[in-house]
Amino acid sequence: MTVSQISVFAQSKPGHMVRVLDLFEGAGVSVRGFSAADTGEYGILRFVVDKPQQALAALKEAGCACVETPVICLKLDDVPGELSRVMGVLAKCDINVLYSYSMISTYIVLSTTDPERARELLAAEPVEMISQDDIARIVAERAAKEA
Amino acid sequence: MSGCDAIDVTVKGAALAAAEEGRFDALPIYKPEIECASREDIRALQLEKLQETVAYAYERVPYYREKMDEMGVAPEDIKTLDDVRLLPFTDKAVLRDTFPFGLFAVPLSDIRELHSSSGTTGKPVVVGYTDDDMAMWSECIARLVQMAGVMPGDVAQMAFGYGMFTGGFGLHYGLQRLGCAMIPAGSGNTERHIQMIEDYGTTVLVATPSYAMHICEVGEAMGYDWESSPLRVGLFGGEPCPPGLKAEIERRMHIVCTDNYGLTEVMGPGVSGECLAERFQQHIAEDHFLWEVVDPETGEPVAEGEMGELVLTPLCKQGIPVLRYRTHDLTRVTTEPCACGRTLARMDKVRSRSDDMLIIRGTNVFPSQIEDVLTGIPEVTPHYHIIVESKGGMDELIVETELRPEAFSDSLPAMEALRGRIAETLKGTLLVAPKVRLVEPSGIERAIGKAKHVDDRRGN
Repeated sequence: MTVSQISVFAQSKPGHMVRVLDLFEGAGVSVRGFSAADTGEYGILRFVVDKPQQALAALKEAGCACVETPVICLKLDDVPGELSRVMGVLAKCDINVLYSYSMISTYIVLSTTDPERARELLAAEPVEMISQDDIARIVAERAAKEA
Repeated sequence: MSGCDAIDVTVKGAALAAAEEGRFDALPIYKPEIECASREDIRALQLEKLQETVAYAYERVPYYREKMDEMGVAPEDIKTLDDVRLLPFTDKAVLRDTFPFGLFAVPLSDIRELHSSSGTTGKPVVVGYTDDDMAMWSECIARLVQMAGVMPGDVAQMAFGYGMFTGGFGLHYGLQRLGCAMIPAGSGNTERHIQMIEDYGTTVLVATPSYAMHICEVGEAMGYDWESSPLRVGLFGGEPCPPGLKAEIERRMHIVCTDNYGLTEVMGPGVSGECLAERFQQHIAEDHFLWEVVDPETGEPVAEGEMGELVLTPLCKQGIPVLRYRTHDLTRVTTEPCACGRTLARMDKVRSRSDDMLIIRGTNVFPSQIEDVLTGIPEVTPHYHIIVESKGGMDELIVETELRPEAFSDSLPAMEALRGRIAETLKGTLLVAPKVRLVEPSGIERAIGKAKHVDDRRGN
């Protein structure tokens, strides 16, 4: 059982990812997971969506360079060792993982050209920003609960 | 070749098919008594007209009289065509320095129309045409549009801007002279162009090659079927036409495309035009233009067939009789007869100018070389943009090229390998290592007028 991933060629410039997202919105497509890989000047945007065929049609209509690839999607329990366990299964069989990212856009990580300015801009928006302490605290609290 | 079935060149695809079969008898020639005259007759006519032109310029234009007096040359010294070398060159600077009317040989009351150059390489130059100049100009255009199989009765749609640019009105008058119906649509509003082609049954489109490609792409995106469209011929000009781009337009729009050459300073479009036998060359209207090919450095003539700078002397211009105009366009000329039946000399299509040469880390690079390499790489489109920067005292050549949607795969290593391969291929031709930037499909701006391919950001 695989799921469809939509990959889009995009230049690494402001507005290019938004353009793709706007096309999805126009086609009534909901993004369930994504990653953006870069080489400096261009990159590949990868999406897992609810309606891959509609997403692909909208992108092709707009003339985007895009392709559909089958990928595996796993739901992991949030306990130590789970990621290592599934990666181990593939490693043992000599299957290489080319890339991997986590789905459901609740916690997302962004690397930007101006981290401080990006932080200020987003701090002024109604969106929750996570600190390094928050990440440590969530893990520590879970450990305390289990003890 | 006679005795074969008659070919109707107004049928879509027929002109190209006839040319491929070598049936050049089926293709029209506007003025065979000139276009197919013997070399001796052409040279005799050129000498007679050159003598008249030199006498006319000497008599009427103070600049030429002073210049020739200074050089110790008189109109009577022109006894053979080779004696043209005794005359002074004219550079664009002369036209600018005498702006606006310093080189005019007639009062403005005898001028019917003014035009000016686009100023891509500096301030504009203004030129004026008398009634006879207009007649000569439109005849030159009528000849070259017939080379592509355009016939009286064709419906021609203009997608050049009109204005001061010579291309718009030049083609307009020439097509009317031949007997075509003109649709003066002008540039821009691409959807409307496509709608008019369909509504008015347009058979001939006049455009820059880059704008024709844009019309093609917009039509495809609208779902317009070019194969069943009435459009049959594309007449290109305004900018050099890369062979790869022309072939792609012919294939996708199902039309036959030719391009012509000319420059405002000597007349405008119509100096030379492409026939369907030699698609990389253009026949020069030799009864109206004396050509020379010279070494751009020394100004000395090169042997026939050698590459050099084209120098043109219009042979019967009344408004502005320019002598030995330095075009800065690099080409070579042959006087061998052509399979199309014409005897007029053929020049290679201009792909580069002596002044668009870029010097990158001491090596000469022409944008046309980059274009040729990219045309041979199926994963990218023929659209490109060149940026030259100075980084820490070193020249950096950046070539931006568009990825074709079908060449994309979900693999960064594969994309990087393609980028590396393009860079290597370019380096092999240019002998300079460029940096290649892959951009999204349609990511390179399409020009409506002249495409601007080079952005040299090195501070001068």
